[in-house]
Amino acid sequence: MADLQIEKFGQKLRFRVCYEVGFACPDIDDLVQETLRRFLEATRADKLRSEEAAAAFANGICRNVISEYRRRLYRDAPMPEVIPEPSARSLPETEQFELRQALDEAMKQLSPRDRLVLRAFYLEEQSTEEILERTGLTLENLRVVLCRAKERFRQIYSRSVQYRAASNH
Amino acid sequence: MEKTFHTDPVAREHTFARYLARTLSTSAAEQLENHYLGCDECFEELRATKLLIRELGGMPVDSAVERTLENVMESALESALAGDVTVIRFTGSAQLTCSSSDLSALVRMVDTRGDTKVLIDLQKVSRIDSTGLGMLMRCYTHAVRNAGVLKLLQPTPQVKRVLSLTKIDSIVPTFEDETAALLSFRDLG
Repeated sequence: MADLQIEKFGQKLRFRVCYEVGFACPDIDDLVQETLRRFLEATRADKLRSEEAAAAFANGICRNVISEYRRRLYRDAPMPEVIPEPSARSLPETEQFELRQALDEAMKQLSPRDRLVLRAFYLEEQSTEEILERTGLTLENLRVVLCRAKERFRQIYSRSVQYRAASNH
Repeated sequence: MEKTFHTDPVAREHTFARYLARTLSTSAAEQLENHYLGCDECFEELRATKLLIRELGGMPVDSAVERTLENVMESALESALAGDVTVIRFTGSAQLTCSSSDLSALVRMVDTRGDTKVLIDLQKVSRIDSTGLGMLMRCYTHAVRNAGVLKLLQPTPQVKRVLSLTKIDSIVPTFEDETAALLSFRDLG
């Protein structure tokens, strides 16, 4: 696995681990590293059946690492439920401010109807049919609303990743 | 999953939303994880969705939209008077989590009312996370500051476990039986 691939894979594992243990868990990096270590070790030992199965294999390892961590933690002290992610705390204040502004701007660019649609879709978990009926949109309209909103947030996310990378150097 | 994901973005977004809200079944969540760990495109989309959902959850809503949401929110809760105790109940299955509208509805109901004796029935609450716990404590503090009392009724086993782990049940009185809970308010006069 090339360095770049490992870095990307590490990001995905980090997301997966954070999803499971919460974003405020102090041991996220250790869990990601341990998963990566076991995965690379298994790959070197030719334990991976096929390239296609790599993601599922890594997911299995990640699950085991988290389970072991939880068992260890429960033995010592009770662990709280998932804690919400703190907002971009690792970024310098100016960059946090810029990102906050970009996010606010992205939200402002959404029309009231689009916000209603997005909230119904993402937060209220209404079915596509319900949303179409409630708003009078066609499926194509809905797809456009989703794609437009997602594109803005994808750009902001990439910018925050670049900021993080730059501030780490 | 791969085929559906790359041909039907609406279905993909639905799956992402349910995954992030933790309402996806275990097997479907595992399938999604197996997929995004190997697919850069879906991983980027998932991260963007997460950011979008976080912003949607915290954004101020327009008054017209807010009114619609208010109606939806309030219909999820009902309150009734039992003597001088206000009993707040969820009318359907509810979750007290950061992305749930049930939580905002509950906080709004407790905050805006002047009741001094409040009993919250948690019978229909299937999940609670740290945001929900924080908000419950906020309701409790609000009641105490206004010389009131707040108690909890019939938490489901999962919620009970969290209340016990965080030791909140030792601060906020919790009851299994409604009559006993109502009687406990009488001792306060």
